[in-house]
Amino acid sequence: MKKTSNFKSYKKEIMEAAHDDRLRLALSRAVKSFRSNVKNALEKFPHTVDMAEEVRQIKEGAITRMEELARQAIAAIEENKGKGYIARTVDEALEIIADLTGTKKLVVKGKTMTGEEIGLREYLEEKGNEVYETDLGEFIIQKMGSRPMHILSPSIHVPREDVARLFSKIMGQEIAPDSDIADLVAAAREYLRDKFFHADVGISGANVVAAETGTLFIIENEGNIRLATGAPPVHIALVGMEKLVPALSDAYKVSEVTWRYANYTIPSYVSLVSGPSKTGDIEKVITYGAHGPREFHVIFLDGGRTRLARYPKLAQALYCLRCGGCLYECPIFAVTAGHFGDKYFAGIGAVWAAIINEDIEKAASIAYTCLTCGRCRQRCPMKIDVPEMIIELRKLLAEGDSADARN
Amino acid sequence: MVGISTDIIYAAAMDSELVPPGLTYLADNIISRQNILGVTKEQSARWAQNLDLPRQAETIFFAGCGYQFSAQLEILMSLARGIDKSVIGAELPMRFARFQKKLGLNLPGIYSSVLSRGSETEVKPLEAAVNVLRNLGIQPGYLAEEEPCCGAPLNHAGLQTKFADNARQAYDKLKSFGVKQVIGIVPYCTHAISSLFPLYVDGYDLEVRHFLEVVAEKIPSYKLRFPRKVKVTYHDPCQLVRYMSLVEEPRRILGAIEGIELVEPDWTRGEWATCCGGGGGFETVFPELSQVLAVNRASELLETGAEIIVTHCPGCIMQLKDGLRELKIDGVEVLDLSQVVATAMET
Repeated sequence: MKKTSNFKSYKKEIMEAAHDDRLRLALSRAVKSFRSNVKNALEKFPHTVDMAEEVRQIKEGAITRMEELARQAIAAIEENKGKGYIARTVDEALEIIADLTGTKKLVVKGKTMTGEEIGLREYLEEKGNEVYETDLGEFIIQKMGSRPMHILSPSIHVPREDVARLFSKIMGQEIAPDSDIADLVAAAREYLRDKFFHADVGISGANVVAAETGTLFIIENEGNIRLATGAPPVHIALVGMEKLVPALSDAYKVSEVTWRYANYTIPSYVSLVSGPSKTGDIEKVITYGAHGPREFHVIFLDGGRTRLARYPKLAQALYCLRCGGCLYECPIFAVTAGHFGDKYFAGIGAVWAAIINEDIEKAASIAYTCLTCGRCRQRCPMKIDVPEMIIELRKLLAEGDSADARN
Repeated sequence: MVGISTDIIYAAAMDSELVPPGLTYLADNIISRQNILGVTKEQSARWAQNLDLPRQAETIFFAGCGYQFSAQLEILMSLARGIDKSVIGAELPMRFARFQKKLGLNLPGIYSSVLSRGSETEVKPLEAAVNVLRNLGIQPGYLAEEEPCCGAPLNHAGLQTKFADNARQAYDKLKSFGVKQVIGIVPYCTHAISSLFPLYVDGYDLEVRHFLEVVAEKIPSYKLRFPRKVKVTYHDPCQLVRYMSLVEEPRRILGAIEGIELVEPDWTRGEWATCCGGGGGFETVFPELSQVLAVNRASELLETGAEIIVTHCPGCIMQLKDGLRELKIDGVEVLDLSQVVATAMET
């Protein structure tokens, strides 16, 4: 293994980012507005803080029984005439989704971090499909051939002038570099509009899943996910097993805490999806595929999550709601964005790199980049102790993994 | 990517290549010499030469490495940063210990030449802290060259087994001198002795308090005045504020000093203070990035319009001074809280 060369290129990458003034400017603006938005959201809905504690308990319970909850959710989804799957590995998940999709298909995607984790878009493209990211940030990233730099705002590092240049190129019409952001948004809307209605397959993730009913909760603002999961005849959802909670009411609480700490008083849309579209309006005969999808498939990905759950100090990484708040508090993220990370970013990303993706060199690079300053822990609604995890991970890296590190 | 068993962690770690050399350098020094720089016993404890601190006492002052060796650490860091920014490449500071030989550097020699200069007229933080404690009616002892190293960087590097061994030895040593209470001042050391040692030491019964706690408790009954009217801001060290929850104490102390107006950043204060970019040896692994962070934090603090940046950690002091230097700011001082209190007691 070429560890030093790997670290060398990693260090070069983050130092280049740290010297990028545009990146710094974009991030410092984002940090400022994020902080004041979260503050406002929490002042307006102060019960969120207590609810976050409740959610932590819900997650603590759920993580110990992911497997059971996945089976319960699958049973419920199948009762609703959808189909559920457990994918043990990333390869299994890719295979299931590729088989369902086929080839030469038009696919529209909502943003899914789990999709990024397994390289879903690239895989479907390799299989000969035409895949469109429909989240604006993700769309920009896809067209730039770049990778996301934040879990909620993937194109956080791209200034508007660069977006205008990019859109001019791909849309074949001149968009002035000084265009209003609204014009850029309108251009993306026009470009993607008919893709939704001609797509064969729509793909999404989910923020949380209620096992008792198999219901996916999907939080968004743009409305692209509603279209991507509503218009095509097939909806495929890819969900990490750590997103499962027992009851509908639990899932609601997880959702509210997630969006509040993600700096929203209330998002524009929360979709609850439990099965394929159906109607009984003609002679009370239930028929599937009314205006929404005829088929509904949910893939629950293990991909190392049950293994991670066995490490007492590291399992808390699975409580993460992906609100992204920690990233805005990380002094290193503030100058490097997602270059400090792997599939997931900043300190907690090291745990995912080590145990979920089993990329040990990458994990070591991230783990030894973390300052362990603890401001992420201060922000985290789940009180995930990132410094504690980092020290534990360094121990595994330096002294070796052993059975007593796991349950 | 997938399907590799976790055993690979074990295999890869055996050659220790995953621990950055900057951290193994500190670790080796701790193990061989009981201080982070690997300097000789004669070079440590010099700061206390004229203070007449008793060796044997139930309550001791624990000086740690950071303040004692701040001059040497500054040299080390400026060398490391120079190399890190140069074309020689990213890897060098990572392997500092090995490359210092290659580059013909004689670090111990450089250190002792700095020490022998001894030209500093200002009262250093450690001496100031002892003076403050004495003024408050506390007569602590000091183990001087017998003071064990807390070993915190070992823990931080992931070398827990070595940290645990060191913790037990350090604890036994403290006990062998009859120590019952420890007053710590370096945040890392104090946190290690008070919160990490008990994880590895059976029957642990030391009472450890941080200097800030002791001072904050006694200060209300003293009259304190700073020699001039100044705007002061306070930078919370991570270990003090987020690991030891010492939020109110420094503010209570500064608030009790006549002539000092405390001005703080809007958001990045107390529990939300931004890390200075030092800490736990990060600066030895990422010398240049660490400096970028130091500049950022210094800038946040400067926005308050303060003339003095007060903090309470040797690492933070070094970082913030460096940040100000990079920003080419003159006329803003970085002082340790102990220096500020000592000055306010004199006047």
